[in-house]
Amino acid sequence: MSSVWERVEPLLGTVERPARYLNSEWNAVHKDATEYRVALMYPDAYEIGMANQAIAILYERLNAIPGVSAERVFVPWVDMIERMRSAAVGLFTLESSVLVRDVDLLGITLPYELTYTNILEALDLAGLPVRADQRDETHPLVVGGGPCVFNPEPVAPFFDAFLIGEGEQAVAEIVSAHREALAGGLSRPDTLARIACIDGVYVPSLHEPGSAGRGVRVTKRVVDDMDACRGPLCPVVPYMDVVHDRVAVEVLRGCTRGCRFCQAGMVYRPVRERSADTVVRDVLEGLRCTGYDEVSLTSLSTTDHSQLEEVLRRLTRRLEGTGVTVSLPSLRADAFGVEMARLVAGAGRKSGLTLAPEAGTQRLRDVINKNVTEEDLLSAVESAFRSGWRRVKLYFMLGLPTETDDDVRGIGDLTAKVLRAARDVTPADQRGSVRVAVSVSTLVPKAHTPFQWQGQIPREEIERRQAVLRESMPRKGVDLSWHDADVSLLEAVLARSGREAADGIEAAWRAGARFDAWTERFDLAVWREAFSSAGMDIDAMAHRSYEREDVLPWGHITSGVAEDYLWAEYERALAGEATPDCSFEACTGCGVCGPAGLGVDMVLGGERRGR
Amino acid sequence: MAGDEFRLRLCCGKRGRLRFLSHLEYSHAFERGARRAAIPYSVTKGFSPHMKAAFGPALPVGTQGLREYIDVWLTRYVAAETVLAALGQALPGDLAPTEAGYAAAKEPSLGAACTIGVYEVRVEGGDVAQDIVSRALDDVVGAGVWQVEHKGKTKVFDLAESLPKEMDVRSTGEAEVVVGVTTRMGQGGSLRPDSLVSHALSRAGVAGAVTLVTRLDTLIETEEGTFRRPI
Repeated sequence: MSSVWERVEPLLGTVERPARYLNSEWNAVHKDATEYRVALMYPDAYEIGMANQAIAILYERLNAIPGVSAERVFVPWVDMIERMRSAAVGLFTLESSVLVRDVDLLGITLPYELTYTNILEALDLAGLPVRADQRDETHPLVVGGGPCVFNPEPVAPFFDAFLIGEGEQAVAEIVSAHREALAGGLSRPDTLARIACIDGVYVPSLHEPGSAGRGVRVTKRVVDDMDACRGPLCPVVPYMDVVHDRVAVEVLRGCTRGCRFCQAGMVYRPVRERSADTVVRDVLEGLRCTGYDEVSLTSLSTTDHSQLEEVLRRLTRRLEGTGVTVSLPSLRADAFGVEMARLVAGAGRKSGLTLAPEAGTQRLRDVINKNVTEEDLLSAVESAFRSGWRRVKLYFMLGLPTETDDDVRGIGDLTAKVLRAARDVTPADQRGSVRVAVSVSTLVPKAHTPFQWQGQIPREEIERRQAVLRESMPRKGVDLSWHDADVSLLEAVLARSGREAADGIEAAWRAGARFDAWTERFDLAVWREAFSSAGMDIDAMAHRSYEREDVLPWGHITSGVAEDYLWAEYERALAGEATPDCSFEACTGCGVCGPAGLGVDMVLGGERRGR
Repeated sequence: MAGDEFRLRLCCGKRGRLRFLSHLEYSHAFERGARRAAIPYSVTKGFSPHMKAAFGPALPVGTQGLREYIDVWLTRYVAAETVLAALGQALPGDLAPTEAGYAAAKEPSLGAACTIGVYEVRVEGGDVAQDIVSRALDDVVGAGVWQVEHKGKTKVFDLAESLPKEMDVRSTGEAEVVVGVTTRMGQGGSLRPDSLVSHALSRAGVAGAVTLVTRLDTLIETEEGTFRRPI
């Protein structure tokens, strides 16, 4: 298989940011002897995709298999796509610059619904038919994974298979089954039938949509021991500035806070902490191996780690005087969270602090099970501003179930209280620099959450509530920003529709939609028209509700959390009843743990602190 | 500067495909390599402590550099060869340093001192031949000044000042020449040798294009008007 680098290099002189296409980054893996080639693709630009942990983990795992090489692929930026098309250069892998159409397996992570058109763009640029039923034995097997596969149906026609859940162990099984199929000269349908036998693998061509319960049923894969599954110790170090440009060490997986809008909190259960020793060791090793000057302790809720304080104290001691900083991705909105932030910031610069109360009134926070009280929030803010922070960012959502105008105005009231609390503890001469940034998005109901049956509020209603909120918001000291309601609407459509949406996605891509996650390139009108030409109404689809007895489009995929549990949580939400976090209190019966569930249990390194 | 710091000057490169790095990407890549090499670098004081390092004049994206200089301050003396070896292990070959030597604390910064760039511009295409390209360049130099529009700004170069040495043109193959250009970087900006050559070609109606630009050397101009290497 030959490299196309000779044909790529002349294109680089006239494109933006050629460092996206160079390869040869530190820690990139080049394997000479290769019997089986995997291309791992992130369906967006290099600088976004290089932050993805799944690609980094699978890259290291696959390259560790003898005879197998894994190489990275990102979607070239539009200027490069144009140059490649006119020079007839197909999509290529970074490491060896081989054509993606010549590899054995193309693995694509699905990080976000608005990258779907990029998948079609990439398949087409690779010279592959975008629909799986148009592909044959001469084409790579196209397998999807990642967060969005918990409702794979809208993109099902474009993939040969999906892996549902965690890939650390499953990828080797898929590769091994595929190698055997290739060696045995199996046809594409026979190959797929064989791969479908692997736990966690969903082959959409073997499933009739809407037949949950009668057709296939796929349970997600889950890793039982996070200490045994080390993350990528020596990840590839990009040359160009990328998002999250630092070492990322995953400190725990799963979150059982039970926020009812949150898909990640439902589908990544159970909670599995890595031990303090493993975390500290991997941080130091990752820094040594990459040369980064920053490390992030990642997870869905890092401040919940039972040994976080010990980890941070050990790290700040070991890293003293090196100029290396530790960062926490998200903070629990209470005094303990701020104490941890203070530990990592030390005496140094205090950048913004981000807290997510999500709703403006206690009633509505109980509905969504966001177990943060006003006292928690205000004590966190006071503690932060007393320690020298001068900016705080608050996240809220509009369109939550049962939301009234009083709840919406509650966001403004709570912001005013935060501002007052912040000013009260700030020395008089510095009060002018106190800022509260408020970021408001619209609820996008997600599959596998208690709100999965509920439609998004209509577009006009979003605008009306935004107006109510704007009225209630203090003017001075507050920077108010919105997540674009057009984007939220499309997210809602793609998150909860069935296989029929694929026609709309393909029509939108054919009409020119790509890089939809980039604000300046997103145009809802293109999507509305494309869906309409395919006989669908996106506004109705976003707003659509399901009944308890409906077969949900993703009903054949399970994360281990019982559908009955989700429904019970939905009813508790409407009744305004909170549900505790099982990692702090008793089991709440979601169905994930134990032999009756996924056969994997919660793993804690010690007693969790806080509530 | 604190007296306990040692200023080590390195001659690195931005070679091969890594010529496509921007100056910022190049400097980050060096700093990451220096941390991997675990050399005892100094850290700046202040709110965001970072590695104390200073870079010579920037190269544009796509321009190769064979002798690019970087000063890095160390907290203790380490033999230059030891640092060179450690960095050689921790940096991609296209960036790795080839020379190192300690510089006096009071010496001016690389950015201020390195005012001379010695370049090679490769030109390829249909009409390209030594005599044709030489004539095209002579015509431009003969005009005395060269005015460039860049990002909405107008820069005027006095070519007698900006080109301290005469350009030379060598034939390196069929329809391929290499133009040697030495430039003086000044207050009014730096003359891009590839732009100058492209300008000369289009002005003379010569079909040909610049395919590779390499800075061979980055030099300091002494008070006597001679050029010397920074190490």
